[in-house]
Amino acid sequence: MTQFIAVSNRKGGVGKSTIAVMLANATAAWSQRRVLLIDLDTQCNASLMLVGGEAWERANRAGHTVADYFYDRFEKVAEDESAYVLNNVGDVAHARTAPGRVSLLPGSQRLEDIQGELLLKHSKKDLHADAVAVQVRTRMKNMLKHFGMDFDVVILDCPPGLSFAALAALALADHVLVPFRPDFVSQFAMDRAAMLIERVETAEQLAGIPIAERRYSCLPNCLKGDGHERLLIEQLALDHPVLKTRLPMLDSIARAFDWDETRKTMQEKYADALPHLRSLHDEIFRVPELLAKSA
Amino acid sequence: MTKRTRALSGASQDAYFRRLFRSHSSLTPEERDKIVQLLRREIAQLRLRRKQREGDTEAAREAIPTKPAPVAETAPARPADVEPAPAAPRTEPATAPFDPFSINVVVLLRTGGREGLLGALESIDSADNLRLLAREQRLSVGADLTSPAELRGAIVQAAERRVANRIAAAS
Repeated sequence: MTQFIAVSNRKGGVGKSTIAVMLANATAAWSQRRVLLIDLDTQCNASLMLVGGEAWERANRAGHTVADYFYDRFEKVAEDESAYVLNNVGDVAHARTAPGRVSLLPGSQRLEDIQGELLLKHSKKDLHADAVAVQVRTRMKNMLKHFGMDFDVVILDCPPGLSFAALAALALADHVLVPFRPDFVSQFAMDRAAMLIERVETAEQLAGIPIAERRYSCLPNCLKGDGHERLLIEQLALDHPVLKTRLPMLDSIARAFDWDETRKTMQEKYADALPHLRSLHDEIFRVPELLAKSA
Repeated sequence: MTKRTRALSGASQDAYFRRLFRSHSSLTPEERDKIVQLLRREIAQLRLRRKQREGDTEAAREAIPTKPAPVAETAPARPADVEPAPAAPRTEPATAPFDPFSINVVVLLRTGGREGLLGALESIDSADNLRLLAREQRLSVGADLTSPAELRGAIVQAAERRVANRIAAAS
């Protein structure tokens, strides 16, 4: 069964795209699964990391991005969507034995505009705007779900904020990975994200859901190793599931952002970040909802 | 003469100056605060002699740790062929530096309640260290507080405000 993993945080600059790409590469390399990364962020950083600027621009011109997919196919029945997907992307050399590789549904800077257009297009006089929004989101969710037919793992790289696409991804995800930088405002962002993911309206309702049963986990990222970070992570762990994996601020992770045409091994690409990535990969695929799906 | 000094900066430096100026009754509290603020801008670090001469101020003596760490069992043996250093004055053993993150104030408040946190803070008897803990854990305490008991109370209140703020933001 396909596992949908959203990488999300309403706060920007916490490393969502970098982690989504790392996780995609790790899953393809170590789990030998067919992995699709759907880039829902209008910054398109994950797309640029996986195919570089030129190939992304070609996909844009050809109308083969996630925005085009939503717009073109919104009212059509499900059919072959492979034209929108770029296969065997990234600069990591995976084993040649299929199906261990990464595919990409490229992002688009027009995604936000298209969401607005879809909303207007489907507005009706006798239907409240909120109801239309729910319809659009639900349709987008089902369109994303359609990719589960061809892939074992679908990683949804969400934008900051709460666009329709982000909400659709959160609704679809079996598990939501929430990277955060341990600082004071991250706690607020995490509390709100958690309520959204668990579909509750108050902190009291959230507290009523046992931490072990939550649909999300928090990943401390960009750690400098100071005492204040440790305190904040401990404080966060009182209310939220926090992974044991800690991603330090490493040059090797910053460099992994750069795409180049030369294929390299996971060791060459991630260097001293590799043990951290291994830990993240192993921990993510041990979470109960993903285990249940793979059983 | 060998100098053994202790570095003070930030909150502990401020506390030292406040105690020092309190011995000058001609200064009002406002004037003291003004001078302390000025000194904080001008002086990044203060090095304080550990071994004080007779006649030093009361305040300077207070700034020296009163509970030196035991050293007898951990002192390394001196090699037999090394002569003991002559004429080195006896100095107080250095204390382990205080770790302002040794207690997670907010976590303790939430898990142990007000009493639990106060109990944990009781283990810190230096006002300088309490102020340092508050500063590093970004807990706002009044600059005019000097006694450890007052500082502990202020730390608990600041932590309560922190928790209340977070709950409010999530509602």
